[in-house]
Parts: sequence; C-alpha cells; structure tokens
Amino acid sequence: MLIRLALRNIAANTKRSIITVILGLVSTALLVFSTAWMDGSHQQMITNAVEIYSGYIQITGDNFRDSPSYDHLIFDVAGLQRDVEAVNGVALFTPRFESFVLFSVGDKAVGGMLTGIMPEKEQHISRLKRSLQEGDYLGENDTNQLYIGSELARRLHVTIGDEVAFVGNGADYSFAADRLQVKGIFQTGLFEFDASSAFLAKPYFDMIMAADNMATHGIVLPDTLDNSVQLAKSIGEKIGGEYQSASWQQIMAALVKSMKLDSVFGYITLGIVFTVIFFVVMIYTLLTVFARIREIGIMRAVGTTPKQIFSLLLLESSLLGVVSVCGGGIVGGLFAYYYSVHPMVFSGMEEQFKQYGLAVTAIPTAFEPLTILRDMVVMFVSLLLSTLYPIIKVNRYKPIEAIHHV
Amino acid sequence: MQNKIRSLLLKKILFPVSIILLFLQPAYGVEVKAVIDKVVENLNGKTAIMEISMEVTTKRNKRTMKMKSYSIGQEKSFIKVLYPRKDKGITFLKVDNAMWQYVPRIEKTIKIPASMMLQSWMGSDFSNDDLVKESSLSEDYTAELLDETEDAYTVALHPKEDAAVVWGKIHMAVSKEFYLPTTVSYFDETGVLIRELLYTDVKPYGERFYPSLWIMTPKTEEKKGRETRITVFNAVFDEVVAEHYFNKRALKRFSR
Repeated sequence: MLIRLALRNIAANTKRSIITVILGLVSTALLVFSTAWMDGSHQQMITNAVEIYSGYIQITGDNFRDSPSYDHLIFDVAGLQRDVEAVNGVALFTPRFESFVLFSVGDKAVGGMLTGIMPEKEQHISRLKRSLQEGDYLGENDTNQLYIGSELARRLHVTIGDEVAFVGNGADYSFAADRLQVKGIFQTGLFEFDASSAFLAKPYFDMIMAADNMATHGIVLPDTLDNSVQLAKSIGEKIGGEYQSASWQQIMAALVKSMKLDSVFGYITLGIVFTVIFFVVMIYTLLTVFARIREIGIMRAVGTTPKQIFSLLLLESSLLGVVSVCGGGIVGGLFAYYYSVHPMVFSGMEEQFKQYGLAVTAIPTAFEPLTILRDMVVMFVSLLLSTLYPIIKVNRYKPIEAIHHV
Repeated sequence: MQNKIRSLLLKKILFPVSIILLFLQPAYGVEVKAVIDKVVENLNGKTAIMEISMEVTTKRNKRTMKMKSYSIGQEKSFIKVLYPRKDKGITFLKVDNAMWQYVPRIEKTIKIPASMMLQSWMGSDFSNDDLVKESSLSEDYTAELLDETEDAYTVALHPKEDAAVVWGKIHMAVSKEFYLPTTVSYFDETGVLIRELLYTDVKPYGERFYPSLWIMTPKTEEKKGRETRITVFNAVFDEVVAEHYFNKRALKRFSR
C-alpha cells in the first residue's frame, strides 16, 4: 500500500523527482570518480617507485639499511642466491652493487651512484631496460660500457660513445678508478634517479671494484606480487640473521605513509564538498516537503497517522535515493573504468609531476568495484539523513495548521 | 691551630685571589686563543715536507699506503701516493679551500666538488674536508678553556655563527710541554661524540717537535672496528718548498 502511494507521489511530481535524482546522481558520480582518481594516483606513485628500480623485495646485509657502509655487505652472493631460490614463491633473484663515486668529464665532476647489475636478470625485475632512451642496454659480457641516466648524462654533457671517468672506493676500501664509455642512456622519469645513477655489467664492475661475489642488495621478484610481505618474511627465516629481507611496504614505509596522509587530506576536502551537498539536498527536500504541506494536512485529517506519513516520505526519498545512487555509481564507475583503461594524460606538466616522484604524466584511475560500492552506500545513507529533518519537521504540524499553511 | 691557619688561608688569600681570577677571565680568553694559534702553527710549520704511512683498519681488512706531502703554511699542500703500487702516482693538491686529484691510471685531473667534501679520503677515516679545512681551527671556532692542569690545557672549540664547518663542537687536549694537541674529540650538533683523533709519539724533527703517530677512531656504532693510523717517518720543517708544487699542472708533472 505504502509503496504504491510512494510511487504514485514520485510519478505525480515528475520535475521534483527528476531534480532530486539528478542531485544525488551527480554527487555520487563525483564521489566515486574522485576516490578512484585519488587511489589511482597514489597507486601509480607506489608502483613507479617499486617497479622502476627498487623492487618488491630487497635483501641486504644486516644493518646495511641503517648504516649503508661496505662493512655490512652481502659477502657471499652465490650462497645467498642458492638459499633464496630454494624458497617457494621466488621467481627471480638478482644482485646489485651500489657504490657512491665521482663521475668526471673534462673539467666537470659530479657525484653519483655507480651500480653493478646483472643485465639479463635485471630486465625482468626493474624497468631499466624498458627505460632506454638512446643507444643500447647493457649486455652480460660488457666491459667498460656505461648505461647512464639521462639527467646525469646531461649534467656531464655526454652522449653515446663518449667517455666518462670515475673515481671511488672499491669494496675493500681501496682506490678505484676507470674510464668508461657511454653505451646507453635511460630515462625512467624518476628525476632524482635519472640525475644520479649509472650502471655497469656486474662481472666487470666486480673486477674494478674488488667486489667479486659481493653485493649491497639482492632483489627478489615474487611469483605473485601481492605476496611480497609474506614472501619477504619466509626468505628472512631461511637466510637467517646475517641478512635482512624486506618487502617494498617496509622499504617504502615513508612513501606509503605519505600516501595515506595524502588520502586523509583528500577525504577531508571531499568531506567539505559533501557537507555542502548534504545541506543543499536537505534544503531542497525541505522546500519540496513544504510544498506538499496541504496534501499532508489533508492526509492527516482523513486519519493517516504521523508514523505512516513519516514512513511514506522516507520511502519516497529511499526510492529516489536508490535510483540516484545506483545511477551515480554506474556513471562514476564508467568514468573510473574508462580512465583506468585510457589514463588521463597531462602533457606539459612534467615538472610538477616530478616533484611527486611521478615518472609519467599519464595517470590511470583505480577501478575497484568494492570501493565504488562503499561510496554508494555512504552517499545513500547521507541522502536519507539529509531528508530526515524536513520530514520530522513537517510531521510536527497539526492537521488543521497544515491545511491552512500558506 | 691548624684549623685556624686553614681558615685564615681561605679568608685572607684564596678568596681575594679567586675574586681577582674572576676579573681576569677576559684576559684568560685571549690566552686560550693564543694556545690554539700556537697549536695550529706547530702542527703546520711555515713549510713542511713529510713522508707518512697510513694504515686503515676496517672490520674486514687492513691496508697500508705510503705518501709524501709538501706544504706551505696552512694554505697549500701537495700529496703524492707512493705505495701500494696500484695507486702509485695519485696526487692531491689543496690550495685554500679547493682540492684537486690526479689519477694516473685514467690520466685525469678531477676537482673534488663541494658535495664530495665529507666523503672519505682514500678510504680512510679522514674526509676530504679534513685535508682542506684542517687549518680553520683558529679562524672558524671560538676557544673556551675547560680545564688546566700542570701539563695540559683542555679547550672547547665552538664554531662561529657564520662558519661553514661540520662539527658542533670540538674538545682538544693540548700538552703544555710542546703546545701540541694530544687528543681531539669531534662532536656533532647534538653533542654526540663522532670521532677521536690522538696525536702521540712526539719526536724532534730538526728544531721542531712533532707528533709522529696520529690515530683516528670513529666512535659511531656504524663505524665500529675502524681505525686509521698515520705514522710520520720523516719530516723536514721550515725549509724552502718550491712553489711549483702548488698548481694544477704539478698534479700530473710530479705524479711520476
């Protein structure tokens, strides 16, 4: 009975109903899309940071993370590799030796990171190879061939084939120096990284840096990426206290934390926007309900109880709410889906993006049905809440007052 | 009786003396500055030619290097590595606050940029900055006398406000016999002891006395087990040192 009445009321006031639905629909779509956008850009930042170079799981000598000195190296890479590869869920292991050196060309000298990598394995674990901009990626048997970051190459004024000298300390703290030839230039888009990093094939690096069978990091690619935390733990148990095994969540704790903080600020902003929407809906409902006050007065006069009127009006707004929230969810979800497949491109904003550590200017949204559903429920509840006050208010009138209300 | 004398001594002599000493404080400060100036002068000489060996001990190994250095005052110095053979001929030039390095293996002269100043020098516990700034103790710090005994001063050095220095404070024990430092402790801004430099085995070189063994020990947890010993096995002071050591061409020329 109530439902039929409610439906009839909604249909009778087409214009009013449509406006209410649109208001709810647009707000829901906005909430769904802005959440997807915020989560998407955060995920993009983290994925960037993890996949470009750092890796999902890092193994270091115990204490190396706190005090990265040559006293806390991995001194037996071969042994560690055997142990790590025996752990279930490990797809790949590759060692890296990072060393702080002074690069020099002509009169210019720039401090930076010279790293020995296994070129073949490295390409499966980081985006170094895919970031090639000019020249060629490293080969396993390369000697003094250098793979250098674009910004570092620019600072040193070198291009493919040019010579770069470096001086630094070998793994035994002895003096190390060599002349290297630029083989390839890469650009990951991580500005600081491109401005300070260069790579050599590890076999040759080991020879000039006295680093045979040593490494600063062992990087592990898990079979399933979501499994990083658990896998890092089981690797840690296998390799013992001599080493530390950490998942990207631990390595990038600061980044993950800052993303969370950024989300909080994002939600505060959204909260303010939706408080405004909340009141707009409330005022609009107040107006529409009062436009019907005579009708309500007559209903009361013919014996309808306040409770029944309350239920009727609430049912009306629920029905409208469901329609608008579903519509909004679909519209917002469609946008979120579209932009997750076709990321938004912000050309000409590279500089600003660099400050946030974003390597690319294309940012996909995060299309997550569960999050969309959550946003829809939130919107529905707040739509209902915003109609409560007008409904209660109108119910307080006595029938005779209501009928004579102007 | 004895008590009476003691109280008399206290009232009539010690009290007035301490009052006078209190007023003498400013004059005292000047004297401390003079002590530091004298120490810096004694450590550098007008000129110096030295042969030294440097032994770097780390958790894992021990390395020895031999070098020869030429210097004029505190401003200019030239260092050449003699041993080990693989590093022979590496030269360093320091003029005022700038530093260059020549590496024969790659036939290259490199100016050490400011950003590398705090890096370790040749893998030792000394930094490039130590070589460049060793002279600035009397210019960049204000001295305060902490303690004075029969044979030593203990001086605290606080960086002047506009001085570009790395340390929060330095404590230096100076022997009165030679006006040479014995222990120098380096603290960071928060007052944590970072490293300690010992000067010992003072020997006569010509008319001068000079510490022939320097031991630098880092005190931080991360550098536990490290130590750098510099042994001076030959030194000539205040003789004429040719100016031609102190330009960039010398780096390559005297490398051989």
